[in-house]
Amino acid sequence: MNTLGLIFSYTHRENLRELTKPRTLASLPIAGKYRIIDVLLSNFVNSSITDVSIITKSNYHSLMDHVGAGKEWDLTRKNGGLRVLTPYASPQMSVNSSMYRGDVEALATNMHSIRRSMAEYVVISGSGTLYSMDFNHVIQSHIDRHADITVVYTRSMNGSKIVPSGVVVFQMDEHERIYDLKYNTDDTSPQEVAWGIGVIIIKKSLLESLVADAMSYQEYDFYEGILKRLAGTLNILGYEYKGYLMEISSVTDYMKANLKLLEKDMRDKFFEHPIYTKIKDSVPVMYCEGCQVVNSILADGCRIEGTVENSIISRGVRIGRGAVVKNSIVMQNTEIMQNVVLDHVILDKDVIVRENRQLVGHETYPVVVEKLSIV
Amino acid sequence: MGFTKKKEMIAMLLAGGQGSRLGVLTNSVAKPAVPFGGKYRIIDFPLSNCVNSGIDTVGVLTQYQPLELNNYIGSGQPWDLDRLYGGISILPPYVHGKVGEWYKGTANAIYQNMNFVEMYNPEYVLILSGDHIYKMNYKMMLDYHRAKNADCTIAVLQVPIEEASRFGVMNTDDQMRIYEFEEKPPEPKSNLASMGVYIFTWDKLREYLIKDEENPNSSNDFGKDVIPAMLNDQKNLYAYEFKGYWKDVGTVESLWEANMDMINPNVPINLNDPPWKIYSRNGNLPPQFVNGNAVLKNSFITEGCTICGTVENSIIFPGVTVEEGAVISNSIIMPDCVIGQGAAVEYSIVASAVKIGKNAEVGYNKKPLKAGEHQPITVVGQKLSIAEGTVVPAGAVVSESITAEAGETEE
Repeated sequence: MNTLGLIFSYTHRENLRELTKPRTLASLPIAGKYRIIDVLLSNFVNSSITDVSIITKSNYHSLMDHVGAGKEWDLTRKNGGLRVLTPYASPQMSVNSSMYRGDVEALATNMHSIRRSMAEYVVISGSGTLYSMDFNHVIQSHIDRHADITVVYTRSMNGSKIVPSGVVVFQMDEHERIYDLKYNTDDTSPQEVAWGIGVIIIKKSLLESLVADAMSYQEYDFYEGILKRLAGTLNILGYEYKGYLMEISSVTDYMKANLKLLEKDMRDKFFEHPIYTKIKDSVPVMYCEGCQVVNSILADGCRIEGTVENSIISRGVRIGRGAVVKNSIVMQNTEIMQNVVLDHVILDKDVIVRENRQLVGHETYPVVVEKLSIV
Repeated sequence: MGFTKKKEMIAMLLAGGQGSRLGVLTNSVAKPAVPFGGKYRIIDFPLSNCVNSGIDTVGVLTQYQPLELNNYIGSGQPWDLDRLYGGISILPPYVHGKVGEWYKGTANAIYQNMNFVEMYNPEYVLILSGDHIYKMNYKMMLDYHRAKNADCTIAVLQVPIEEASRFGVMNTDDQMRIYEFEEKPPEPKSNLASMGVYIFTWDKLREYLIKDEENPNSSNDFGKDVIPAMLNDQKNLYAYEFKGYWKDVGTVESLWEANMDMINPNVPINLNDPPWKIYSRNGNLPPQFVNGNAVLKNSFITEGCTICGTVENSIIFPGVTVEEGAVISNSIIMPDCVIGQGAAVEYSIVASAVKIGKNAEVGYNKKPLKAGEHQPITVVGQKLSIAEGTVVPAGAVVSESITAEAGETEE
């Protein structure tokens, strides 16, 4: 199937504090050696979709630096391949608001590039929810059921009925036809609803005309301005996703999603298909005399002399003698010196924690240390 | 044909040797493709040295069991050797006209590929072999070669004089000019051992390769024939002293030792060296997982591993699973092995994709050892399985799977 992948590198519903200050959501590190974009791109590559564009809005330099020409994802191609669509000022752009007023405007601005693709179908993915999916099945179901638009939804996140705040909740009839939707605001109580994981399948020609149409009505929100407004006229169908999900829209969710990988079941699902990432040629992890490592994930290039428990340690991290790192996420090239104690902490890249410092957060409110800080 | 760039120096890497002294480890792969140091293969060292020294054109001469090596090298992308001009080329022997033959010796291998070298019209040619572990800047050696106005420069290493008889030894004057070369002399006159790294001025090398080929009595080897012939003609041959870590990994014992050197903080080679990285082909594996019962001491462990047992003074390659209660010490476990529950592996080299059953003991030793001596190294060949509870005595070489019925017992 000739398909174009479109990834939104950001989401309007995230609250990741210091973590997304230096970077767009899609380049946030996850699972030790990956970035969110790796999981998304790998979904496309594993589904044999090799024409993928990433729509960016702001602070996308770290994303560009990471994906480069797309070599590591096998997306350096003569036909298709990887493209990063960066925003630029155009005469039609509003002067009084931020870059894009919504996903529709982002699509409209980048339509010149989308239009050029030879693809027949477009698979749109967000960055706030991670999943593992063979898009060919959804496209096949889209064709078989004569859908105009197929929206992927789920009824539970890894068995939990809690619905993240800001996601779209759908009202469907017994044939999975969507007739209404709303944005979820309740993320505390369990709900028996179908909610969107940010994946949409549509014919490219239809996308082009719907975006142009919505722009002329000044409707900038894809869900409200296209799906809800046209629910009566278009055949908009749901497609249920039953695999694992990782929700990355807040700091606590981010922490939970990472630590969930310490469970074998989740790890097996997450790593079932290859996830490609930028190769750093780091050395193997050196476990020194006197180190103690319990129930943790570690990426290459680390040097461990202290204690690590229930944590995710990225590439090139050094943990000194006597240091104790518990329930924490430590990003690339961070140095934790001797006798430091960390519990429920997220250390961003290139942080230095000096001797004897102690940082303790809580499951409900992890301490976040910004990139390049020295504690 | 279009634009071609003249290259100052290209490298020719001799990767065709069988490495028979590595026994079962090279049954189905060429020696340069043998895994080393946790996530590398031996060939990664000379290739990374080339790239880090600014050499972007490398011919890899293959002959013995080339499939896995060819596949590993691929386009050369992991070493940044996929280039518009140059890059990596695999050079197997081929038929020319009606004749064709295997590479008869190291010099003959280059002789048969003279046309390849001429495509780049280089001033100098660097000859390397695929069985040494070291980090070396060939650029500095080339500067020396040029400063000495040499026809050939041979990299040498000072070794203890009592060990010198194991190497090719260079006898030099005080200007480091070589007047004599002795291959494994019983009574060495100097302690400068050849590292098997040569830079030749291409014009001179070409001349001697053609002469050597015309000599029917020649064994077509650099050390035995070409270099002695050049010395005989009073050519300018210089020794270039390399100060650093270098190890030949031609035997099981030296392969084991060199691996152990990587985790020994007192050995002067550090792989964690960002400006001089050793590149390798990467399998896109998840980060390693260490569970609650693992005990880790002084070990190298890499991607794709799941460690639930004890690992001490060992090197664990990608994709290895060490189950609960298993104990690995002083061993090298190559990619994709599974070490079953309660199994013990000591002083062993376990080749890739081996399955060791529950409670098996590999490298079981009962002989008393002298101080400073370690028990003999046990080797398990690729893709074998060792049945539950089997005891493999220390120093054994396992070349066939051991099933439960035919379980090897203690001697």
